[in-house]
Order: sequence, then C-alpha cells, then structure tokens
Amino acid sequence: MTLAPRILPHLGRALVLALLAFAIFGPLLNLVLWAFAEKWYFPSKLPLEYGLTFWQRVFAPRGNALASLGTSIWIAVLTVIVSLVVAIPAGYALGRLKLPWRGLILLAFLLPQAVPNLPVYVNIAQVFYRIGLAGTITGVVLVHASHGLVLAVWIASAAFASVDASLEEAARNMGASVWTCFRTVTLPLAAPGLMASAIFVFLESVDEFTGTYFVGVPDVTTLPLLMFNASMGGNYQIASITALLLLVPSIAFMLVVERFLKADVLAMVGR
Amino acid sequence: MATLADDTVVEMRRSGDSRFVAFALLAPALLVVGLFFVVPLVLSAVGAFRSTEGAFTLAHFAKALDLYTRDLLFTIEIVVLSTLLIAAVAIAIAGYLTLGEHPRAVAILRWLYRWPLFIPFVVAGQIMRTFLAKNGMLNHVLIGSGLIAPISAQSMLDWRGIVVAFVWKQAPFVTLLLAGAMAALERQHIEAARNLGAPRWRVLVDIVLPQVRGTLLVGLVLSFVAMLSVLSVPLMINPNSPTMITVDVAYRINTFADYAVANALCLLSLLLAAFGAAFYLRHAVRKVEDA
Amino acid sequence: MKVRILLLSIAALGLASIGPAAAETTLNVVSAGDQNMVDYVNNYLGPKFEQMNPGVKVRAVGTGPGDSGSQKIYEKLEAQEKAGAPKWDVDVAVVHQRGAATMVENKLLMKYRDQVKAGKLVSRDTAKNALGADVDGYVLPMFHSQIAFAYNPDLVKTPPKSFKELEEWVKKNPKQFGYNGVKGGMSGVGFVMGWVEASDPGMRNMFEKGPYDPKMKATIDKSLESLKAFNQYVVMTPGNAGTLDMLNRGEIAMGPVWVDMFYTWMSDGKMNPKVKLELPAPGLPGQPMYYVIPAKAEHADLAKKFIDFAESPEVQADGIVKQFNWYPGIDPQYVQSKMPPKEWNKLFTDITPADLASKGRPFPLSNYFTDIVEGYERVVLK
Repeated sequence: MTLAPRILPHLGRALVLALLAFAIFGPLLNLVLWAFAEKWYFPSKLPLEYGLTFWQRVFAPRGNALASLGTSIWIAVLTVIVSLVVAIPAGYALGRLKLPWRGLILLAFLLPQAVPNLPVYVNIAQVFYRIGLAGTITGVVLVHASHGLVLAVWIASAAFASVDASLEEAARNMGASVWTCFRTVTLPLAAPGLMASAIFVFLESVDEFTGTYFVGVPDVTTLPLLMFNASMGGNYQIASITALLLLVPSIAFMLVVERFLKADVLAMVGR
Repeated sequence: MATLADDTVVEMRRSGDSRFVAFALLAPALLVVGLFFVVPLVLSAVGAFRSTEGAFTLAHFAKALDLYTRDLLFTIEIVVLSTLLIAAVAIAIAGYLTLGEHPRAVAILRWLYRWPLFIPFVVAGQIMRTFLAKNGMLNHVLIGSGLIAPISAQSMLDWRGIVVAFVWKQAPFVTLLLAGAMAALERQHIEAARNLGAPRWRVLVDIVLPQVRGTLLVGLVLSFVAMLSVLSVPLMINPNSPTMITVDVAYRINTFADYAVANALCLLSLLLAAFGAAFYLRHAVRKVEDA
Repeated sequence: MKVRILLLSIAALGLASIGPAAAETTLNVVSAGDQNMVDYVNNYLGPKFEQMNPGVKVRAVGTGPGDSGSQKIYEKLEAQEKAGAPKWDVDVAVVHQRGAATMVENKLLMKYRDQVKAGKLVSRDTAKNALGADVDGYVLPMFHSQIAFAYNPDLVKTPPKSFKELEEWVKKNPKQFGYNGVKGGMSGVGFVMGWVEASDPGMRNMFEKGPYDPKMKATIDKSLESLKAFNQYVVMTPGNAGTLDMLNRGEIAMGPVWVDMFYTWMSDGKMNPKVKLELPAPGLPGQPMYYVIPAKAEHADLAKKFIDFAESPEVQADGIVKQFNWYPGIDPQYVQSKMPPKEWNKLFTDITPADLASKGRPFPLSNYFTDIVEGYERVVLK
C-alpha cells in the first residue's frame, strides 16, 4: 500500500513510453518484416518464409541500386549546399533588414510546397528542356532546391531574427567590418538554426521523386524513384528495402550535423 | 529646421540603400523559386482559365466544384484535424523533453520520437496500409493481447488512416522544431514557477508555450501545406470517395488527360493553403512590427 | 577544415557513383507498369540485346504502375516537343492503351510497325485500335493483360459465374467482394465497364464498335444506379494493388484484378498459391501494354531492332509466357509452337482460351469510357 504512490508514476511513465514506442515502431516493424519476407499471405499473421531474395534483386548488378543511392546522396548534398548558399543572404535580409512585402516574400517561398505539383512538373520539364538543364544533376538539384528552399529560408530568417543585435553592434564598435562582423558574430549565432534547416532540406531531397523523374530521367535516376514505383505497385519487399537503404544517409547526415552542434539544434527557430 | 530636413533625406537615402541591399540579398533565392517553380506554375495555372478554343472561361472551376466540393471539404477536415493532432502531440512530447524530471525517460523519448522523420510519405502510406488494415498488425496485436474481440476488429483505411499517417509522419517534424525552441528558453522563469509549486502542465501552457508560439506556427503551417499537396498517402490508404484533392488531380490527369480541371483543382487547393499560411503571415508581420 | 574534407569526400563518392561517362550508345527504355517490367528489360532483354549488339547499353527506367505511369511518359515527350528539342531522350517506351492513344493523337510517336519483321506477327484488334483511337502502325503489344476476378477458394466455394450471380452473391456475403472504384486504377474502372455492359447486351456492341451516341448516357446512368445499390455490400479497396493487398490479408474473398499483377504477386510470395481466377459472363475488359517509339527518338533504328527482338516468338515464349505467365503480345500460334505444351497450358489454368476469346473484351471507345467514368462520379459517388 505504501509503495503504490511511489511506483505508480513510474509505471505510468513506462506505460506511456511503451505505447509511444509501439506507435512509432509498430508501423516500422512492418517495414522491416516486409524487407525480409519471401512469403506472407492470409491467414498467416507473420511472414511464412524469410530470406534475402529481394535484396539480391535490388542489388542485382544491372539494377543500379547502389549507383542510384550514390546519386541520391550526391544530389541531396548539393541541394543542401545550394539551398544554404541562397538562403543565408535571403534569411538575413528577411530576418534583419526592413523590407516591404515581407510576408508576401515569405509566402512566395512556400509556393512549391503548397501546390499539388503534378500538373506543374510538366511545365517545369518543358522549361528545363528548353534551357538544357533536363537530364542533368544540376537540373535535379535546382528543382529540389526550389522545393526545399522554404525550409531553409524560413528557418534561416528566424535564426537571424533571433540573433541579439547588440552583440553585432559591439563588434562593429570595436572596428569590425560588416563582413567580419557577420562572419564572426552573426553567422555562428545563427548556425544551429541553419544546420537544422540543412537536415530538413536533405530529407526533402532524399525523398523526392516527381521532380527527379521529369527533370532527371533517364540520364539521372535516384533511389526514391525505384521506391515510389515499387511502393505504388504494391511491391512491398522492394519498396521496404529501398526505404531502409534511404534511412542510412538520412540518419548519418542527421548525426553528423548534430555532432557539429553539440547541443540541441533549432534553438532559435521561429522566435 | 534645416538640419531636420537633412536628417530626413539621409534617413530616406539610407532606407533606400538598405532596401536595395535587402533585395540584392534576396535575389538569388527568389530567382531559384521564381524561375524553377513560379514560372512553370503560372504556365500551368493559366490552363485552368482557358477553354479549348483559348478563350477565358470559368467552366473548369464550375466542373471542379460540381464534382469535387465534397472532396474539398473532406480535404479541409482531414488537414485541419491532422494539424491539431500534430500540435497536441508535438507540444506534449516537446513539453516533456523540456520539463520532464526523469532523465532516463527524457533520454528515451528524445531517441524515440524522431524515427518517422526519416520515412518518406509514400512509405508512410504503404506501412500504414499494412499496419492499420482490418487484418493488419495493429489489430493482430490488439486481438492477441485480448484488448478487443476478433469480431470487432475493423479497418482504419479511411479518413482515420490518412490522419494517422499524417500525424505519425509530421508530428516528429514539428516536435523537433519545438523542442529546439523550448530548449533555448531561459530556465529562470521555468524554475521560478516550479519552485512556487506550479504544476508542470501550467508551466508549459502559461510560460513555455507563449514564448515558442512562433516556432510552433512555422512547423504547423509547413505541415499543413505539405499534407495538402501529398498524393501518395491518400492514394495508398483511401483513394475512394470522399478522398483528398490531390487524388482527384491525379485522376483527372491520368484518366482523362484533363489538365484544365486538374489545374483548377490545384488552384483551389492553393487557396486552402493560403488560408493556412495567412496565420503565419499575421505572425510574421506582427513580429516585424514588434521589432 | 574537417568539414571541407568531409564535403570533398562526399563529392568524390557521388562522382564515383555516377561512373564513367558512357562512350557506348545507350538505348533508353522507359516503361510504365510494375517494377518487374523494368526488371524484365534490365535483367532479361537488356543483356541478350547487348550481346547481339556490341557497344550498346540498354537502360530501363520505370515510371510507375497504371495509367499514371503512361501519362508521365506522355508528359515527358510533350515537354520535349514543346521545348523544341531536336532529339528526345526516350528511345523505346512501354505504355498502356490510353497513353498510346493520347500520344498518337498529339503526334508524339513514330509509325514503325511495317519496318520491323515482328510487325506481321500481331493479330489482335488492339494492335490497331486503342479505346477507339486509331493507333495502327504506331504500336506493338508487349503482352496482353486481362481483368478477372481473383478469389480465395477456401472462402468462396462456388464463385459467381456472372455479374447477375455476383449481385446476389454479395447480398449473401456482404463485405466479401472488393473493388477499387474508378479513381484507384484500371482494374476498378474495368469492373465498372463490365458492370454497365452486363446490364444491357445491346450496349456492348455499341461500346466496342461505335458509333458514339451521347443519348446513351441515360442508359449508362441507370445501370450505375444499380451499381450504387451493389456498392453497399462491397468493400472499396485502395487501388489496383490495394485489391490484391486486401486479398493478401484475407480481408476480402474476391475482387477484380489484372491477371499480370496477380501472377506477379503470387511469384513474389504475396498471394496464397491457392487463390484462383475467374472470368465472369458476359465479360471484363483487358488491354495490352504497347511498345512504342517516340517521334524523335535519338536511336530510333536501334529501338526498332530492340522491339523486333522483344517481339520475336522465342522471346515472347521464354520471357513473357514462361517467366511471367502473361498472355503473349503477338499471335499465340507463333508462341505456342516455341514451347512445350505443359508450359503453354499453364497460361490457361484458371481461364480457358475459349473463355478468354468470348469474355475478354476491349475497353469501350473513349467517349463512352468518359461517359461511364464521369457517370460513376455523378451517380455513384455523390
């Protein structure tokens, strides 16, 4: 009796955590099971046979899965770089400088995310064929960047807005040039937010397939294309395997970025 | 008097300069989005207003509304409900990460909640379809643990399935943003309130949340528009009537090659997104006025 | 510094993975349909063709299952046409009927049938006609597929043999039959077509041969009213693959599926081998997948050679029939002689050739098609 009040909270906490774990890993377990299932049908509740046949199919030398994975990572890294290079000045302008139509400009960056983009991509492809970017990595990176830019710009603008202006002034008063001041004071303070946006842009690029198809195929093929086709066709094993493969660079990128920061990221976003 | 006028001129010139600088800094980003998205978007959007003869018409919107008003409403319901649930989940998890007093539980939670972040929408749709189905894993577990009788097992592959998939996939995104913002708050107020005996949920609602409202809003608006434009989740879980607008867009294109009505639907969907984004806009503009 | 090294190494990895620039000629095959069709080109046709043509590399990319996959190919060609590209980056495309019709209509394809030997081996009407559109000369069928009911004999002892029987059957077995409506792919659309055609024997001929009469809408709508009543007893499934998916978990006992997809699911271990097929009277539609060559394909001559090879009786026998259990694209008589009767007969385990001939129907002409599908939206879904 006397123990109960002390144990109950622990029990409750454990229970809530367990439920959450089930909610998160239950669906993921399905993914893992399908990746190794060779036979699985009614009335069996679990796979009847496990094996690696489908892994062999994905990794068949002519399937190009590894090369596609490499291309996906390369495109994602480039997309992050392009996004940050254009988003840092834009974020600074939006976060620190007085601007007319600020709201509208912020919304303009949201557009690529806000429209069901199927019909738009036909025209994107047309534009890209015309300017010779179709079938190139550059073309795919630009499409991914325009799609993910809202994350980079919004988060960068928030990060710069939250940098304490008095610190910059102090640096300027000590004779630092605008550039030095930005490089040594503002940018490091905004870095956590910027790095966080890098994670999201990376994930966005690694998951993208519609733009890749219209702009890249057949010269540039990425792993998400295969994953999408397999998943929509109900080819669960291949879709699950490719999804698991794509987890690797995503998680690795996140770990690298987090290490870099040594603190919980995103400290200043949106403030 | 003269000096005042001079000051004003200098001030004006300076603000003109800073505007120029600001737009110069913005230009590359605007160029990327403008050239590679807005131009193609406009090219396709005009199709929604053009008849086969090339004249201006609203017939495509009339047809879109005639056939798909129910789906528009369904889409709004799904997305609004999902957004609210995402907010609730994100606040609860981020709140516990910030205020939780059991270090191990906080550590476990921090490790746990992020996983769906790495799962693309199409895969989220696929795994929810096999997880939430009538004979899916969820029901197997519920029946196996004696929580429900086999006879009462039901499929959740309808609006519920879409909402679950959305919340599962997007809540970690908002949580990650929110937890970061909360972690950066000054601890003094929180500690002070706790020392005065305020319960943790009051600290969360009264002290923490008001300070991270902006971050929460950013995350929710981004999720809101993302959910509006995702095709694969409703297509995998419930492409039948009523369904979400993106499914109808794909259907008009794939079955009829009817880009006009598809584009009209896209613009209607964009209108919905604009409503969601208006929240953010108000917040963003107010923030600048505060500054 | 570390960051720079890290970035450089990632860049190197990326570059390395792209591999050396191809000095050889690459034949780009872009295929709608399931992943196994892409694998078929990559792993079966490709190596053989490369062996016959040194210096050629075959590269296959998929665009996704169903008509959306074909539509994406159309959109890509259309973009290149509008952009005025002199050479298009797709050499051979594999598309559905609707996609082929749209592409021919928009002059995006090359007339090539008379320039390949295999052109003489095709006999089906669908080699000339796709949903009422004249595609004569522009297409060669890769394989033919058919919509049929798949059912689990453990759960359904005596499957309904016709739409009439099905209507009664679902009342006795509510929520045991599932189909995917009209928005989730062609197996559901085909079921709706079959339903409407079954309601009036006179309609069927008109649907398939024309002429188009807009007044038929009233008759169509009446038939769809009865489908609405029928729908109360059935499960709506999420897409072509969704029907198979629910059969896989035993949530439905019967539903209309594409025969080619059905066999793929079975060979992938996702379908109980006991599950059987049944073609109900008066019939369900089927359609081929077509090989087509874009009008400005960069390697058009090679593309013709490739299709000629893929349509040869040997490849059709060994690749299409033996590997996949799919109906051949060319006239069956040429294929049958190339393989042992046992292998050949496996094609007709559940559905006999006679059934296939009488109950395997083409899809209705496109105007009727549109009237039926839009009628479904107005009458059934509202």
